[in-house]
Amino acid sequence: MRVPLGTIAGARSGDKGGDANLGVWVRTDAQYEWLRAELTVARLKELLPEAGEVDRYELPNLKALNFVLHGLLGEGVSSSTRFDPQAKALGEWLRSRHVEIPEELR
Amino acid sequence: MIRIGNASGFYGDRFSAVREMLTGGDLDVLTGDYLAELTMLILGRDRAKDASLGYARTFLRQLEENLADALARGVKIVSNAGGLNPEGLAEAVDRLGLGAEVAYVTGDDVRDRFPDALTANAYLGAWGIAECLGAGADVVVTGRVTDASLVVGPAAAHFGWRRDDFDALAGATVAGHVLECGTQATGGNYSFFTSIDATRPGFPIAEVEADGSSVITKHDGTGGAVTVDTVTAQLLYEIGPPAYLGPDVVSHFDTIRLDPHERGVRISGVKGSPPPDTLKVCLNELGGFRNSTTFVLTGLDVGAKADLVHRQLESAVGAEGLTWTLARTDHPDADTEETASALLHVTIKTSDPKRAKAFSRAGVELALASYPGFHVTAPPGDGTPYGVYRAAYVPRSSVPHRAVLPDGKVVEV
Repeated sequence: MRVPLGTIAGARSGDKGGDANLGVWVRTDAQYEWLRAELTVARLKELLPEAGEVDRYELPNLKALNFVLHGLLGEGVSSSTRFDPQAKALGEWLRSRHVEIPEELR
Repeated sequence: MIRIGNASGFYGDRFSAVREMLTGGDLDVLTGDYLAELTMLILGRDRAKDASLGYARTFLRQLEENLADALARGVKIVSNAGGLNPEGLAEAVDRLGLGAEVAYVTGDDVRDRFPDALTANAYLGAWGIAECLGAGADVVVTGRVTDASLVVGPAAAHFGWRRDDFDALAGATVAGHVLECGTQATGGNYSFFTSIDATRPGFPIAEVEADGSSVITKHDGTGGAVTVDTVTAQLLYEIGPPAYLGPDVVSHFDTIRLDPHERGVRISGVKGSPPPDTLKVCLNELGGFRNSTTFVLTGLDVGAKADLVHRQLESAVGAEGLTWTLARTDHPDADTEETASALLHVTIKTSDPKRAKAFSRAGVELALASYPGFHVTAPPGDGTPYGVYRAAYVPRSSVPHRAVLPDGKVVEV
């Protein structure tokens, strides 16, 4: 069954100049193994089609993934014409996207 | 152990936090972060109007109200509120006349190397702050030091860390990263906010040990929560690769260990390695002028309505520098007017301030001559200057890092 990613995952996002960062974390080792396999760069771009070039970093000690979305904010917050120029709510957008999460992980 | 609190995550944060942190429980040091990339631009405009400004003025008002109390309690104050003018802020704190020993850290301004920039500031590290505290300062104000340095400096001074105590420096850097955004560590802006009382989160405290490990906590009786989840959320804020570069140490975020603790969360295990030979520089340049408006498109033919106003505005001010975004927030057959409406945002960015102003006039002149149901969410203003941010890197050895001690003595750090 498809449910929002935020059913099990937390997120926080923000700006670094013209790039946005988006950290996603879960609470159990089993959830992390699923997240790590599921949320590839390609999958993130499917869920957030506005993303361009993306780097992904794994932080197994925090059960977290960190994404850097390059250039999403143009030349920084003062110049950006994006709806959310500091990418504050990017993480909550991602959490609201529906994905297949195995029943036993919810 | 040294108890280091935070009372500000940005210029504009809760004014009463300084008082709350001083009176809410024990502290050795109270820190406050007032600087962000955008703040440097705002302060740069202040400074352009009046060279005696360029610092965070709310910090001075907070000290007016609370410095006597801090001195009586023996709590040291460490803040980057000096912004572009730490010397000016230190003088203003002196003029409060409370007899505090005031020191400041400077040298971060590198505009001589970036002559086109409105602001150009290298991110300095913790050692200037440590120098000031070692000389007995009650208040240390800095310019652009890294946010985490506000915690690392006091811990390094307290424990007498050396420059190559990289694991300890990295541990304190991680504690500093958790504290630098204030209540974002204690349940503010937290994905699982419905599981805690997030009404009025308390500000965070790091109890830092001699090895750089720490316990993140908050004063008893304050709102919010400090849990492995709230701390994880803040650790993930505004980071890139796991090797987190700083001016004093590279902190390896993939070595952080978090454990629940009776008063909050324990952070341990953080590995550090030597810092790079370059310092990051925050550069703000004037990009030009911008103006924007939002047209409300209600009901039928939303796409065609957008096309019409788009053509009309472009023929009045020209297409160059316009960015259009049509947000289809409308729903068919809606039972409220707002949910029947889409929003068409348009922004102009131009080097010509007259064109930014003409944009408003052109928008207003359409009011009786455009799509049916024409209205805007707010009347357009005259336009404002905007900044362009970029990062640069300069050799560490080329940037002076100076601690100006309470007696006026200047120490090259």
